Amino acid sequence: MKLLAIETATAQSAVALAEDRQVMATATRVDRTGHAGFVVSATDFALDQAGWFPDELDAIVVDVGPGLFTGIRVGIAVAQGMASALGIPLLTAISLDAQALAATTGHRHIYSVVDVRRGELAVATYRPVPGGVVRSSEPVLLTPDRLQQQLMSDPSDPLVVGDAAGIPEWVLRGQHRVKTGRPRYPSVRALLEIGMSKLERDNFHSDSAVPLYLREPDVSLNWEKLNPESPWSS
Amino acid sequence: MNPLILAFETSCDETAVAVVRGTEVLSSVLSSQVDLHARFGGVVPEVAARAHVESIRPLTHKALVESGVHPADLDAVAATNGPGLVGALLVGHSFAKATAWARQLPFVGVDHMEGHLMAPRLEFEDFAPPAVVLLASGGHSQIVHVSHWGEYRVMGETIDDAAGEAFDKLARLLGLGFPGGPAIDLAAEDGDPAAVAFPRALADRPYAVSFSGLKTSVATFVRKAKAAGELPPLADVAASVQEAIVDVLVQKTMRAVADTGVKVLGAGGGVIANRRLRARLTEEATARGVKVCLPRPELCTDNAAMIGVAALLHLERGDLSDWTATVDPGRRLG
Ligand SMILES: [Zn+2]
Repeated sequence: MKLLAIETATAQSAVALAEDRQVMATATRVDRTGHAGFVVSATDFALDQAGWFPDELDAIVVDVGPGLFTGIRVGIAVAQGMASALGIPLLTAISLDAQALAATTGHRHIYSVVDVRRGELAVATYRPVPGGVVRSSEPVLLTPDRLQQQLMSDPSDPLVVGDAAGIPEWVLRGQHRVKTGRPRYPSVRALLEIGMSKLERDNFHSDSAVPLYLREPDVSLNWEKLNPESPWSS
Repeated sequence: MNPLILAFETSCDETAVAVVRGTEVLSSVLSSQVDLHARFGGVVPEVAARAHVESIRPLTHKALVESGVHPADLDAVAATNGPGLVGALLVGHSFAKATAWARQLPFVGVDHMEGHLMAPRLEFEDFAPPAVVLLASGGHSQIVHVSHWGEYRVMGETIDDAAGEAFDKLARLLGLGFPGGPAIDLAAEDGDPAAVAFPRALADRPYAVSFSGLKTSVATFVRKAKAAGELPPLADVAASVQEAIVDVLVQKTMRAVADTGVKVLGAGGGVIANRRLRARLTEEATARGVKVCLPRPELCTDNAAMIGVAALLHLERGDLSDWTATVDPGRRLG
């Protein structure tokens, strides 16, 4: 089984190839606005490295977020374009899972955090289990304030993974039980692992790759514009 | 043999996919977001980008099925690479580039305005340089001289609002809905275009147009007429407003035609769907012995067939994009 993983949910863009459980090639770049210039050329490069042709791919797995809206859409559009052109299944994973799965801890409660900008963080929590992690809370958007409260009231020892640059420094200051750790971005290898498990389990069902935004578009209704007053109404 | 091109256009609020064979449209489908954005009184970039990513895959399937073309027979893939809304552009461009890569086909990035400019080729065999093309839409108003295929000189453009933008703002002043162009076209149907003589702002520069003065004078006229209880019927005011916009566009375009001595006039962009503008351009051009090539309204408004036919030119010249190509939301023609 030849699988391509596409990861563009954060400032990092990455692609990776695996044959069964063996990683064959990866390519990574960190550039907040560089997803679109990177992903297809990196995929081309990775396939070249592996000595594969596009039509040998069996499936594609893509990160649907949460994260940077434009990055997520670029990744999904690329994955959709390739999967439809090749007639192969498109599988999905969420960024917070791909990040938590790459964390290493024996006992700590994992807080997987992705910066979604505008003062909000996407957060889900995970418990480590042998061979992986189990999600213990669904992804939500939190303000740094709320994240701090949750960490403080967590009776276990939290491990925060994700791009710490998005978490204001004061959130973690003085919190001695809380550790921060790697990975900094969703792991493209973890993405491959999630995809491969889905492939093995789901028998080639394609997911509908819908972005996980967690936030409605920021639109202000302009009533004056919407319902212009007609000079002909008395 | 004419190449088979799969083309994408997502620069604003229409997700559009088409299959063309040379200059022949085999299918041209779109998923309009007009209703979505009408709720907000304008195009909301984030709303547009979200809608594109939802509709692009099913729409591509539809375009291929309607064309009767087997994907394996495609020769190239093309997509708009600007100008437009960056988030919207990226969806179509990324999807298209990935499609091209997966099938190992040439990929062509196309300027949206070049698409509008080439749209007449889809319907008129004798649309060829040297020509003058009027491009008028919600984002642009330009008069372009095409000396040879691929050689464009913007002779003049708007110094304030684009024609489509002017229609939107004036429609709002008249209490009509969004988008303004079709609303005014409809409201003006039985009106008298000579009922109110609004000023024609013919800017100093010979081919430049301007609409902000018109907006001010319409606002003033309506306010005063209403206060005096002498407001003419809406149809007459709408027709007069429309005539003022059309007049400016037609006069400047015909001046460019006369000065360049071209015998071919083309047009593109959503505003060219306006019935009064079409009638006036046809009348004036015909009277001067100039061949007028106005695409049918569906090919004037944003569509992907125009991107396909513009890509044809680049393909013939080997002017291809590579896998690192991306979009340029602020790109300019010429
Ligand atoms: Zn347009």
